[in-house]
Amino acid sequence: MSEAYFPVGPGLGLEENFLSLGDILMSQEKLPCRAETALPRLAAVLGKGAAAGQGDCIPEGTKLEIPLWLAKGMYDTKRRMLSVDLPKIYRERWRTVFSADANVVDLHKMGPYYYGFGSQLLNFDSPENTEVAQTILQTFIGRFRRIMDSSQNAYNEDTSALVARLDELERALFQAGQKGLNDFQCWEKGQTCQITASSLVQNYRKRKFTDLDG
Amino acid sequence: MADMSALESGSAAGSEEEMEVLTPAQLIRSLQQAWLNEKFSPELLESKSETVECVLEQLEHMEENLKRTKKGDLKVGIHCMEVERIRYMLNSYLRCRLRKIEKFFPHILEKEKSRAEGEPSTLSPEEFAFAKEYMANMETYMRSVALKHMPPNLQRVDLLNAVPKPNLDSFVFLRVKERQESILVEPETDEQREYVIDLEEGSQHLIRYKTIAPLVASGAVHLI
Amino acid sequence: MDPAEAEFLAEQELVTIIPNFSLDRIYLIGGDLGPFNPGLPVQVPLWLAMNLKQRQKCRIIPLEWMDVEKLEQIRDQERKEDTFTPMPSPYYMELTKLLLNYASENIPKADEIRTLVKETWDTRIAKLRLSADSFVRQQEAHARLDNLTLMEINTAGTFLTQALDHMYKLRTNLHSGESAQSQDF
Repeated sequence: MSEAYFPVGPGLGLEENFLSLGDILMSQEKLPCRAETALPRLAAVLGKGAAAGQGDCIPEGTKLEIPLWLAKGMYDTKRRMLSVDLPKIYRERWRTVFSADANVVDLHKMGPYYYGFGSQLLNFDSPENTEVAQTILQTFIGRFRRIMDSSQNAYNEDTSALVARLDELERALFQAGQKGLNDFQCWEKGQTCQITASSLVQNYRKRKFTDLDG
Repeated sequence: MADMSALESGSAAGSEEEMEVLTPAQLIRSLQQAWLNEKFSPELLESKSETVECVLEQLEHMEENLKRTKKGDLKVGIHCMEVERIRYMLNSYLRCRLRKIEKFFPHILEKEKSRAEGEPSTLSPEEFAFAKEYMANMETYMRSVALKHMPPNLQRVDLLNAVPKPNLDSFVFLRVKERQESILVEPETDEQREYVIDLEEGSQHLIRYKTIAPLVASGAVHLI
Repeated sequence: MDPAEAEFLAEQELVTIIPNFSLDRIYLIGGDLGPFNPGLPVQVPLWLAMNLKQRQKCRIIPLEWMDVEKLEQIRDQERKEDTFTPMPSPYYMELTKLLLNYASENIPKADEIRTLVKETWDTRIAKLRLSADSFVRQQEAHARLDNLTLMEINTAGTFLTQALDHMYKLRTNLHSGESAQSQDF
């Protein structure tokens, strides 16, 4: 069946996809930063209460947690207002964990935009960029088999446990695998030719009934 | 039904000049191939408007004939079923193209703008009109729901940047129709070296679309 | 692609039927069919065969490979080899389903046939996953996949190509990370 709405996927690179809802949510995630110069009149905007006697100014050296999109806007290698720290999941200690066994990590809890956010970090020239990019790629490769197997074996069962530890990108991939499997199983059972009411209509009816009850 | 002996000879030719000599059966086959290629390729392929028109002509001709026959005839039923099947394929082909136009409209229109004179267009005249209208509607919509409420310096969105391009680097499955030699496969990682493969007739491959895009256009390989 | 569309393509395959009616040669857009005479075998596309069968106007002759012994051989061969073995038809799965669902009384040992084909299918899908995994792990740029059928590609293909697209982007980051630093002026 053709669908009416085609969501735009994530950019998964240095640039977000402008029309991707996933990327909008991803770029809202907080990034640890440090003010390299005093930032006048920004304390309220950046969510820091003004320090005593500083007015609305963020003093040099303040540690900040700001959304990725804002950090990207303020980051400038020439003026150096801001330096960016790697979130701990991308730091060396965690990179070692990933290279030992990428499958053990709960990427949903640690992410949930592990790949997308990690790719965006390459905008800030950290000396560890190459290692970060390499780890992200190897993590994806390392977790591929498990995602494929679980998405292609689970038929007609509750998949919430299977996707609980997956990052958002992996979840979308899992869904793609499930769709392939489900479409095939439905076809095999001869269910594809049955026309079913659209989920919109079904939900509408439900709502109407509950409205009447209430 | 004119020359049926031609049915056995030769492969279905795709090029427009040869369209005249295609038997109806070959015509349907070339529609089917266009449909499948379009379904599996990441970008919008060149429009096969001539095939579409010829198929439509065949269908109309057949439907005209069927009107004159009496109802309930077994033969009529069989003809109707065939017509329905061909219509399905045709509709699915055209719909698939419209979907790609909706997905990639700024890039498709940009390509059309920079097209050299004499070079065939990717779009049929109807599709071109659709794409332009879609673009205009999209711009109007964005302006009325969002942009006009923004500060004046943020009221512009460059759709060429905002809408993702077709991903020509994506992988596709293909079957080889005519043997090809020395296809250069680029390495995936720094440690690998580029290498050359031959595509044997009838063999199947998984490869980056970009590598074989010209072969899809020429009909030497079929996407599956 | 929808499995129903793969089935649509499979319905163009020719099968032999034994009609119980007479009809002159019929000139379809896709080619001629017939003439049909009661009791005389004639080749028609499967979509027509199934329609006639449902209206009890014919008997369908099972395809030559729909035979327990042949299918056992095919299944065993498939289990033995590491690569995909040639299938008797590029639409073996679709044809089995259609014929067994709509004309099972014309096909001897229908249930055994169904099981054998399903076992062959499962073996092939397991192989497909194995090769997908090694393709990803080795970061290959090209794979030859002879004898893989459309329906098989369709059940696992979207997943694989989507994963490969992600991988490609993540790999591109390796280089853009470096160039972003030098491009800063």
